[in-house]
Amino acid sequence: MDFSIRAANVDDCKDIARMIMELAEYEKVSEHVKVTQKDLEQDGFSKNPFFHGIIAELPEPQRTKDGHTKFGYALYFFSYSSWCGRAVYMEDLYVMPEFRGKGVGKALMSKVAQLGMAAGCNQLNFTVLHWSKSSLDFYLSQGCTDVTTNLGYHCMRCEGDALKRLAQP
Amino acid sequence: MDFKLRKAEPADVSDILRLVKELAKHEEMEDQVLLTEKDLLEDGFGETPFYRCVLAEVQTETSSDAETSSGSKVVGFAMYYFTYDPWVGKQLYLEDFFIMEAYRGQCVHHSSSSSSLSLIMTRIISVCVSGLGIGSELLRHLSDLAVTCRCTGMMFVVAENNEPSIRFYKRRGAEDLSKDEGWRVFRFDRDSLLRMATPTEE
Repeated sequence: MDFSIRAANVDDCKDIARMIMELAEYEKVSEHVKVTQKDLEQDGFSKNPFFHGIIAELPEPQRTKDGHTKFGYALYFFSYSSWCGRAVYMEDLYVMPEFRGKGVGKALMSKVAQLGMAAGCNQLNFTVLHWSKSSLDFYLSQGCTDVTTNLGYHCMRCEGDALKRLAQP
Repeated sequence: MDFKLRKAEPADVSDILRLVKELAKHEEMEDQVLLTEKDLLEDGFGETPFYRCVLAEVQTETSSDAETSSGSKVVGFAMYYFTYDPWVGKQLYLEDFFIMEAYRGQCVHHSSSSSSLSLIMTRIISVCVSGLGIGSELLRHLSDLAVTCRCTGMMFVVAENNEPSIRFYKRRGAEDLSKDEGWRVFRFDRDSLLRMATPTEE
């Protein structure tokens, strides 16, 4: 299959928003998606971006039946370990279902790893849903470790009203 | 004893590293800290900061002049950075949270089995029960910062056997995404990162 992997630009936000929704539907929580195409444009492509993107794209003549050329993406940002220093966090990795099993996910993740290493990172971290067996198998086959199982790390979040309450004097 | 919170500056990297190592030493994990002052300086105060830091400072008894930093001592810190959730937007991620033992309140004992995750336990436990209020104020400050920066959440990682801390955060409205939604943290270390970054033929 002929495809290219490249850095995302602001014009990709419409397709990124579409694929974010597709990924949320796959994870059975599409009603939780509040971020819009406009949010992505502002948050990812302004002077101080909060994330970066990688796009997997088909050549024009090979558009999908719905007319898309962009069929996969990864979103990542830089993070930090107080012990090891610079790290990269891969927030999303998605390939449209009909294009899976062809090495695209691996190519996207490889690009994130390359960019992370170029920026001096020592770790690539991400989270996976425990029931997503095909995803778990894929990542483990790439050589990563399950930190939640091995070290017992639990992700915690304080949001919405709870966060506002915590912020009160 | 009075204390104040302030944004870390380049000159503070030695104190930041001291506190990072102090915590690690307390857990007999000091050799796990690979960062140097130079790393902290480049990574926190360069053109694109990888982390931000808030410090807790107390005035020492010998203080006689408020004009300079002499007479003050950095006794705690919180290290954080901004992350992004494509569903709900900006988040504040709390990476580290520690106060020197002498400036805390009572210390809750945690599991005696030493492991890297117990560092997180100690840090958060100590903050939870700080008698001087430094920990609570740090947490409040960070939450306020998150709200001001239009973050929809504040995120952090806690070891699953650190039940007192998990209860502490859940009482304040935190959700355990690993337990409630099945999120598992995965990691590629440097060697596997290098392997993955090297293109291979299909």
